Amino acid sequence: MPRAWIVILGFLLAGLGGLGAYFLPLFQTAASSSTSGPETLPNLNPVTAPTDPFTVLLLGSDDDAKFAPDRLNTQSMILLRVDPTTKQATMLSIPRDLWVPIPNQGWGKISTAYQLGGAQAAVAAVESNFKVHVDDYVWIGLNGLVHLIDRLGGVNLQVTNPVMDDFYPSDLNTGEYPYDYYRVAVLPGAVHMDGVHALQYVRSRHGDVRGDFARSERQQQLLLAIKAQASHLNVADLPNLASAFNGEIKTSIGVDRLRALFSIGSDFNGQNVHRVVLVPPYTSEGWAAGQSVVFPDWGQILPLVHKSFP
Amino acid sequence: MRWLIGFGLLVAMLAFGIGIYHAAGLLSGARPSVHRPTEVSATPLPGTLYVVQAGAIYRFQHGNFTQITKEDGWMQPSVAPAGGQLVAVRRQMNFSDLYLLTTGGKQVAQLTRNYTPGAAESNHWSFYPRISPDGATLFYDYDPKSIYNSYQVDLAIFASPADPNGRGSVQWTLPNDFTGGDVNPIPLRAGGLLYTKYSIDDSFQVHAQIWVQRGPRSAGQALTAPELDCGQPALSADEKLLAMVCTKGSSQTAELDAAAFDPAALTLGSPATLVANQMLAAPAVSPDGKTIAYLAPSSPGGQFQLWTVDSSGPASVRDITRDLGLDSTSAPAWVGA
Repeated sequence: MPRAWIVILGFLLAGLGGLGAYFLPLFQTAASSSTSGPETLPNLNPVTAPTDPFTVLLLGSDDDAKFAPDRLNTQSMILLRVDPTTKQATMLSIPRDLWVPIPNQGWGKISTAYQLGGAQAAVAAVESNFKVHVDDYVWIGLNGLVHLIDRLGGVNLQVTNPVMDDFYPSDLNTGEYPYDYYRVAVLPGAVHMDGVHALQYVRSRHGDVRGDFARSERQQQLLLAIKAQASHLNVADLPNLASAFNGEIKTSIGVDRLRALFSIGSDFNGQNVHRVVLVPPYTSEGWAAGQSVVFPDWGQILPLVHKSFP
Repeated sequence: MRWLIGFGLLVAMLAFGIGIYHAAGLLSGARPSVHRPTEVSATPLPGTLYVVQAGAIYRFQHGNFTQITKEDGWMQPSVAPAGGQLVAVRRQMNFSDLYLLTTGGKQVAQLTRNYTPGAAESNHWSFYPRISPDGATLFYDYDPKSIYNSYQVDLAIFASPADPNGRGSVQWTLPNDFTGGDVNPIPLRAGGLLYTKYSIDDSFQVHAQIWVQRGPRSAGQALTAPELDCGQPALSADEKLLAMVCTKGSSQTAELDAAAFDPAALTLGSPATLVANQMLAAPAVSPDGKTIAYLAPSSPGGQFQLWTVDSSGPASVRDITRDLGLDSTSAPAWVGA
């Protein structure tokens, strides 16, 4: 081989090495987060934007030291349907205390499906009860969400009313004693929040007459804010984001598909994202098996769901 | 010589690889860093404004910022009507207190003592201090404890003597239960009080309204309709112009509205929209009533900057700062001197 070619090949390999080092956190996260088999390295070629509607189940768990890593509930469950053709999206918050039959487990709160069977069980519980098909899931833990928001540079949220909670769990990075609590006062108005404060905003519930429903609404609001913030990003930001997760995210979405989804992100803003929270009369509070639960009125819920998730 | 060239090429390849690594990082869409106000100069505004960033109060005069307190949880400064002194909040873990400060930021007196050792929930918050136009009374938010439900924490507006040696407090407002409470007190010259009240309707929608009361615990009346979701009132010195932030049910954008206020009849005229479709907060009316300052990001998702708009109309929006990270829960305090 001529020497000139050897030199060119050397520079090419050095350049690829530099790129590989830059994208290394992304490869590591992809390999550790996907349950659909080992990830191949993402290609950097242009991606084809999706055109068919797809549904993703977004799951969030309190994964602090109170819980064994393999015994987590999902405190937040949001079903997201995106139609790239009509440029319409719908977010449906599923109450964590919804009392439902869970496949292969019997009756329970829908939040416990994940605890007993992982993401697949949570997906199965949603599919069987809501009569929908779920294409993918994304699970994120507390620290993962905090780090994600911080790496995005914070998020802007419009706080609708004072969010007050005298018993907010002090469970982030608290080592072996995660049972302490502290006071939270999120003041109303448009605010730029870092990850910890955004988490306080979406987790607080004690001081609000709407309890968990208010929390669901704020979680949807945070998702829109994260989406707005992520619209500034490009593929070069992915390694930085990936390194933030450190095992705090699990998804069935591969890196290449993630890039494809990124490409349609700018088509969606607050105007064409419909938000649904199953407040009364779709649900009612009550007691079952000695627990405070939320009973579904499927006669009202299913027509609503099928309108948005055909 | 050949080995030297080979070694040189190897170093060059290594440098090229490192260069590619850093070049990839430069393509990132990350946001620019936030500067301290003292590091920048800005478009001058008439008078003096006090703003907050990262827990420190800054004085803005002649286009320059001066830091007057440490970064130590300070927020929501308000200027005493006689000038010469500020009232501000110092927020800490689980509680916050009100302090009287000189305009240079030196502590004159601690006005509340909300810290309680022991259980976190035994502590109290104080926010949004405002001294009445006659200088006699300090209005502020405080969280009285419910004897029936320890989960209930609703802010109510209280009044105490502005004199640090004075004693006693009166609860002015009765917030709707489990809404978070009433906020943003603005005492009126004739003795009434403007503020923001929250309610939650049967379909679980939150509404903000500008309310006015003539006296402590009096019935009060709404000045804006629930569906407009208006809050964060700011009143001109002559009490004839009211600026407010209205979201109209949106959780992503708001508008800055201004309306004529009749302080005698306690009525509000039809609002005019000065700024629309922005995530904005914390309006403050200039001493001459002709300009409204407010905080808003300069790009979606960005940190909050200082803006102004003439009260006459939307054509006059000006960005005063561009790369700060101002505290949007602290409305600018704007005085003439």
